[in-house]
Amino acid sequence: MIMPAGKPLLLPANPRFIALTLVLALLLQMWVNLWGQRWMPDLMQAVLAFWLVYQPRRVGLILAFVLGLLMDVHEAALLGQNALAYVVMGFVAGLLHRRVLWFPLREQPLQVAPMFVLVAVIEWIARLWHSGMWPHWSQLLAPVLQTALWPLVAALLLTPQRRPYERDDIRPL
Amino acid sequence: MALETLDHSPPPFFRQGLPAALRFALLSLMAIGLMVADHRLQVVMPVRASIATLLTPLQWASLQPGRAWDALEQSVRDMQQAQDTVDEYQVRSIAQAQKLQQIEYLLQENRQLRELLALRPTVDRSAQAAQILYDTSDGYVQRLIIDKGQVAGIRSGAVVIDTSGLVGQVTRVHPLVSEVTRLTDREQSTPVMNARTGERFVAFGESASAGERLELRFVPASADMRQGDLLITSGLDGIYPPGLHVGQIVLVDRRVNSSFARVLAAPVSREQGRHLLVLQPLRDPLSQAAQSVQAEQGRAP
Repeated sequence: MIMPAGKPLLLPANPRFIALTLVLALLLQMWVNLWGQRWMPDLMQAVLAFWLVYQPRRVGLILAFVLGLLMDVHEAALLGQNALAYVVMGFVAGLLHRRVLWFPLREQPLQVAPMFVLVAVIEWIARLWHSGMWPHWSQLLAPVLQTALWPLVAALLLTPQRRPYERDDIRPL
Repeated sequence: MALETLDHSPPPFFRQGLPAALRFALLSLMAIGLMVADHRLQVVMPVRASIATLLTPLQWASLQPGRAWDALEQSVRDMQQAQDTVDEYQVRSIAQAQKLQQIEYLLQENRQLRELLALRPTVDRSAQAAQILYDTSDGYVQRLIIDKGQVAGIRSGAVVIDTSGLVGQVTRVHPLVSEVTRLTDREQSTPVMNARTGERFVAFGESASAGERLELRFVPASADMRQGDLLITSGLDGIYPPGLHVGQIVLVDRRVNSSFARVLAAPVSREQGRHLLVLQPLRDPLSQAAQSVQAEQGRAP
């Protein structure tokens, strides 16, 4: 495998760290939901998408499905609505991940934007079928904001993998 | 795995489990199946209840920052405002004291009259105070989650009120929490009576972009309806107790080309504060429906 020149070699991701960030994202999303704003980005989706793209061997479709079910119950939405959206996201992430990883962080949002839009569209269709309501225009903002958050989320979640391979007590960071 | 990751094990070349496309198809079908089952068949309640119980600690944790903020805000809130509120409540309670005394007298009189007429006594129903945990917020469903569930004896169909009027009805009961569907949810309908004329209607929820409204359907164009009329529950259904304030009529639109008037009402409950009262239904609406179905099946040859 040829690495692009000048990129740092990353440590393997810690499965416990992945689990922790997913639980934290779920908590944060529940907290964000309390404000009741429709344009708020789905942070759970952003973090899950990151792991689906960066660690497809550890975070797969089944986990996405389960997390989607949790969100459904929390939002008192139709059971399976978020699950379907997350599973579609997982599949698209699987198709995209090799391509996305060749781009630097600041160019990745453009690559993942269609995925977030597709997921939003699937959620809208599910709601349209279930309750016959068209989306409010402000909901168009959510996928845009998720895309905008991508570099931030990625940079944050990659930090533990950027530590030196051999721990140096004199320079701990 | 990221391209530039230093990993200890090589990626699996041959044993990769089910192909991704097949896994995707299976899981999507499962999700769609769940959606259909939830929407049409109502058979996924146990799944939902167990997930909800699993989520309870997380929900509790996610509520803590907001609660802490509220506590902080409350502790620094202006003393004057608190004093004003106390004064307002005192004035209100004095105004209500007289009414209360009258009510005592009227209750007494009512009981005697009922005895005289050999009518059945009205039944007191049990009530439970509950706290709003959070508001499900997607603009599509108008629901509240409260902190009492099956364990506390909440039953599906129970009526939920606050100090100003009817809030909604318990529609899903999980072991530790319950879902309350607001009056203004699109799938909620409430039997109401015009307090001025005594005519009975059904109010349907309508949460459009114009705000949360109730729509009275099938109101004859000739009905005596005015803007400002108070709607109360009629109490004929055995689920809602009679006389709860539901809404106030804000729009009566009589059209020439339709024999029905378009009537919109605003809900009176303001949902201030966190506390609600859950009134248990006199009889279980679901079991009653099941019994009547069984009775009909029994009658059929």
